Amino acid sequence: MIRYLARRLAYLVPTLLLVAFLVFFLIHLIPGDPAVVMMGPDATPEDLASVRKALGLEQPLWRQFALWMGSLLKGDFGVSIHTHRPVFQSIKERFPVTITLTSLALLFSLLVSLPSGVLAAAYHNTQKDYLFMLGTILGVSIPGFWLGLMALLIFSVHLGLFPSTGFVPLWDDFWEGLRFMVLPSITLGVYMAAVVARMTRSSMLEVLRLEYVTHARAKGLSEWKVLTKHALKNAFAPTLTTIGLQYGMLLGGAVVTETVFSLPGLGKYLVTSIYMRDYPVVQGCILFIALVYVLINLAVDLLYSYFDPRVSYQ
Amino acid sequence: MIWKKLSRNWLGLIGLAVIALNVLVALMAPFIATHDPLQIDVANQAAPPSAKFFFGADEYGRDIFSRVIYGTRISLFVSVLSVLFATTFGVVLGAAAGYYRGWAESIIMRCMDAIMSFPAILLAIGIMAVLGARLINVVIALGFVYVPRFARIVRGSVLSVKQKEFVEASLAMGNSDAAIIFRHILPNCVAPLIVQATANLAYAILAESSLSFLGLGAPPPAPSWGNILSDARNFMLDNMWMTIFPGLAITLAVLGFNLLGDALRDILDPRLN
Repeated sequence: MIRYLARRLAYLVPTLLLVAFLVFFLIHLIPGDPAVVMMGPDATPEDLASVRKALGLEQPLWRQFALWMGSLLKGDFGVSIHTHRPVFQSIKERFPVTITLTSLALLFSLLVSLPSGVLAAAYHNTQKDYLFMLGTILGVSIPGFWLGLMALLIFSVHLGLFPSTGFVPLWDDFWEGLRFMVLPSITLGVYMAAVVARMTRSSMLEVLRLEYVTHARAKGLSEWKVLTKHALKNAFAPTLTTIGLQYGMLLGGAVVTETVFSLPGLGKYLVTSIYMRDYPVVQGCILFIALVYVLINLAVDLLYSYFDPRVSYQ
Repeated sequence: MIWKKLSRNWLGLIGLAVIALNVLVALMAPFIATHDPLQIDVANQAAPPSAKFFFGADEYGRDIFSRVIYGTRISLFVSVLSVLFATTFGVVLGAAAGYYRGWAESIIMRCMDAIMSFPAILLAIGIMAVLGARLINVVIALGFVYVPRFARIVRGSVLSVKQKEFVEASLAMGNSDAAIIFRHILPNCVAPLIVQATANLAYAILAESSLSFLGLGAPPPAPSWGNILSDARNFMLDNMWMTIFPGLAITLAVLGFNLLGDALRDILDPRLN
């Protein structure tokens, strides 16, 4: 297991280097002089010179990358051009909001998708199954930000059930914090719920055809036990991969959801920084989210063999 | 054969009909729209739906129905071009990786892995942040983030088709690599590519509207669906209709491509079902 982990981590190195290079390269895609774009046309020559110096734009490209990588390895994501605060510090303050949002969205989507996917497979080719398929195809077709706006209008404005915007940390006041997160997390989780439910249904259908399931039924086990104890565990392995990949959708979708619900998370910070042309922050946020995504998929890979023992760590 | 099977799949047919309707609306937009989508009309600011304004008017008095109709053009333009971009580059890179193997494969596929290490919409947001909000940049950003999906499919297909005897025969006859790839190998990869492209058209519509909603897509006052929703957001408390119709238009268009994509997947690639 440790050797497998070491090998997987070693395999990650070139990918992470390329990820860092892509993020570094983003700033060089800016048409014209990045310093002028960031500081605006009214910037003084001194302002421009100070930005060029801060970002190392006067150095050759390879040296800029080497310096940037060196700083990253020390946990230095650069400094915001507008607030002059270290980017990593700001990310650390905002990330708990984003991870709360995405975790609750994940929880919601699993609570909905796993039981419904199992039931749809159990009622294969019946009206319940067709209804399920209709629901999931709608789930992957409705834009999240529109769903968020509609949810705000109906459940906050007209029914007054939930607050419309704002954030209370769960660790300060759990129930009040939860009230603020219900609409954003459901809005964000609907797409993933639909994708995971479809995957669960199709994996379950595949597993339910296998002989060991027939054997379990022949032993006289209840259908509930066959579905949950025997079939679901095996069917869960491909679903787990989908969950890992879809977590990226949650992280990306959080940018839009946080904007709709004005949540002070990493996504909202990213969008605000784009409007302010604060590119070191943009780079830092994108790189940080990509790193989280890569690590989550690594964790999923490691969990995989628990659910599918045929996959060995060798 | 595809058409024969598709004609028996009623959900796929509904999807096809919805897509056809969208294409028709995009092509005939000037004849269907009742107003100029950019025409400001201060006398009718935030007018509710009526015989004059089917979907109401926005805060500048612009007709939302006409803006939604013209928005179909933007949405289809971006989604089709970005998928075409991704397919072209994905096919070339995937075919090169699968056919030549070795260092070419390692470099290409590691780059694809790196691009896929980003949540797609996040990378598109990053690219739009630096390139600036222009329609053609949306095409480039979305096309770029979708390239690996196509490259992976084509590489996988090339790896399996390359082992077939007809490819060896073509090689023995002295055909060039390009001829073998384009004449013999790629035609055998078309089925999974069509499935992926159809699904990606749906993703692209969602992504384009999200980018526009964030102010990173087609620049205002372009009537893209995301822009209409972004404008409506500040006025939706008293004017709910401003948000309902553009959202329904996006959902309907995405639903069409998803239904067709599912049907094509069942027909062309039963392993994925």
